[in-house]
Amino acid sequence: MRTVLKKILTAMRGGVNELGEAVVDGQGNRILEQELRDSEHELKQAKQELAALMAESASLARQIRSEQDSASKREQDARKAIAAGQEDLAREVAERIVGHERRGAELTQTRELLQQRIAGLKERVQRAEKQLADYRRELQVVKTNERVLRTTAQIDTNINSQQSSLSTAKETLERIRERQAREEDRQTASATLEKELTGADLDEKLKAAGIDGEQDAVNSVLARLKDSPAQ
Amino acid sequence: MDIQTLTLALGDSTHAGRTFDVMPIAGEEPVLQVTVSGAEETPVYVTVTDTQILCLVYLFDEQELNPERLNELHENMLRISVPMPLSALGKTGDHYVVYGALSPTSGTAEIMQELVTLAENAIDLLQTFEDYLA
Repeated sequence: MRTVLKKILTAMRGGVNELGEAVVDGQGNRILEQELRDSEHELKQAKQELAALMAESASLARQIRSEQDSASKREQDARKAIAAGQEDLAREVAERIVGHERRGAELTQTRELLQQRIAGLKERVQRAEKQLADYRRELQVVKTNERVLRTTAQIDTNINSQQSSLSTAKETLERIRERQAREEDRQTASATLEKELTGADLDEKLKAAGIDGEQDAVNSVLARLKDSPAQ
Repeated sequence: MDIQTLTLALGDSTHAGRTFDVMPIAGEEPVLQVTVSGAEETPVYVTVTDTQILCLVYLFDEQELNPERLNELHENMLRISVPMPLSALGKTGDHYVVYGALSPTSGTAEIMQELVTLAENAIDLLQTFEDYLA
């Protein structure tokens, strides 16, 4: 990943960002994609192998347990034979026990080796998964970078063909200011219109001239009340 | 979300009182120019890739800037990029841009939110960094 990012930055600083001079060229992309596929393939294989080994290990564990069970069962038989004074029979059973114990030990040894292989394989799977994630991330950066370069080149070509040139930031700012001023005017105008429609502006003018409808009404009620004092 | 679906969806939608004017940009890549009502001066360019929906607005070009204050501008751009909602500042070629990237699984509402925010942010940024223009 570091390598890819450094390549991109170096190329950018050198001004190599024109169309057709893609930073990591198509060939590079194809190599990355091939590496990605190889990694995916390896991961799949390793996982299949791992599953098979784990199944084998579980089967061995079962066989080991079975040998141990048989041995302990025979031990009881042997004890009974000794108690009954059947020395020859006891010896025969003891031979069986030795057989079970030997097979159990052999199987345990095989299983231990298998467990080691499983541990190694698990590590390989983890490595492959990490590698795969790295490749995917790298490829994404490379592809996005190329896409941005192509897209901006396309936008520039398009704008240039429509207008004499890409409008400058100053021109854009001027247009923003004009629009903002228009919006402000519109707001002022609509506030004025609102006042006119509700008659609020007329009330304001009358009040300014010392003519206050509300005050007049209060005064006239007061006058009426005074003319007809309480009985 | 592909470009065709997005074009159709934006054409007759409104979001937060805004409408969208969509124009495809001719060329090999699927690129849209989206003009957001009330922020017409800063059109948003949208392109959809496998991994993201990339929306960007041009702010200014390197040659429009006062070269003596370039470091100060860069410092300020980096600082303002973090708190700015749904947008980050960047540079591609000579263009300084404000951009946002969305997951390709984003719905129309998220994309419209991004477009409105981006167009408004671009206006705020232009006015904020006006002093750095040559």
